[in-house]
Amino acid sequence: MYLHIPKNLKIKKVVNYSLKELREFESKIAKDYNKAKIKGPIHLSHGNEEQLIKIFKYIDKDDWVFSSWRNHYHALLHGVNPNLIKQFIFEGKSMSVSSNNPKFFSSSIVAGILPIALGVAKANKIKKNKKNVWCFLGDMTAETGIFHEVYKYSKNFKLNLNFVVEDNLLSTNTPTHKTWNKKKYFNHKKYPDIIYYRYSNYYPHHGTGKWVLF
Amino acid sequence: MSNYYKEVEKSMKFLARNKGTIFLGQSVIYSGNLIYKTLTKVKNSKKIELPVFEEVQLGMSLGMAMNGLFPVTCFPRFDFLLCAMNQLINHADKIKLITNNQYSPQMIIRVLVGAKKPLNGGEQHTQNYVNVIKRMLKTIVVWDLKDEKKILSSYKKAFKNKKINLMVEYSQSY
Repeated sequence: MYLHIPKNLKIKKVVNYSLKELREFESKIAKDYNKAKIKGPIHLSHGNEEQLIKIFKYIDKDDWVFSSWRNHYHALLHGVNPNLIKQFIFEGKSMSVSSNNPKFFSSSIVAGILPIALGVAKANKIKKNKKNVWCFLGDMTAETGIFHEVYKYSKNFKLNLNFVVEDNLLSTNTPTHKTWNKKKYFNHKKYPDIIYYRYSNYYPHHGTGKWVLF
Repeated sequence: MSNYYKEVEKSMKFLARNKGTIFLGQSVIYSGNLIYKTLTKVKNSKKIELPVFEEVQLGMSLGMAMNGLFPVTCFPRFDFLLCAMNQLINHADKIKLITNNQYSPQMIIRVLVGAKKPLNGGEQHTQNYVNVIKRMLKTIVVWDLKDEKKILSSYKKAFKNKKINLMVEYSQSY
């Protein structure tokens, strides 16, 4: 397991989920999807539980968390009610699971969350609220221009915005490094304040790998 | 100064009187375009001068709105707002729908249609996309501010309607 956590971060909470519980949640969703009970795309996680359980210890329950289309684990670990997550999934909105309490937002557009998270962090600073904002992003998103603009702005203005790069070497099924003609993994050492981990896909980009007739 | 300009200026003063409003964009503090002129009577402490990064600007404004502020986010030309279409169409316009109304932020997006007289800014500085954009939006309210008599009342309604509003102004009328 490759996981880099900056040394200055402090543990904020005890995480209430085990690896087994997280996998069970996704496994049940996969079963319902295979039974054609979910009439929208699902993006399942598997294999990054240990990394996420460690990372979420640093995330306070009152912090804001931003995620992408693959967001079930992040939502669960941030304390979003599992029934609310399921409601989104069964409505076909798995890619945009969100919650107002705790603060959780996801978008199905690459890099879409980054400027929004920046604005939340900027507002926190204006309101003198010291809570953190956390952005989970993939290795392709970390290569975008938007990421570099948001990262630069947040650092220059000392905003409490943290980034977690989740590197599975893929953007959908496209190898990120080949499209950029670069070394295999995201060069996280250029960004020592970023949390970074690697994992391999278990499920396909979306769905379960089985042919489902709706 | 024209009545049109005076009405816009009054509208900005009205918005600035409200505690949560914050004006952001390029040339809100430093001169450079008509947006600046309309904000000269707004305190600099209510303004954030931004880099040129339109998509980030609109998303950032949305995030500030989600976190309880009332952004008045300014784009000096419609042509420039096109660079922020992902945040405008995919995020700001869809946020209530994709979150099942858990997030219902309020903000004002100001955009100016560039003038053609006495100087013609050319193809990339003078386009008016108001009719096209109305067709693309599901939840954002579009205000086509052609009539100077309706500018202040429109801004007042936009401030109170608890929605995201796109206010289209006309540089030619300034």
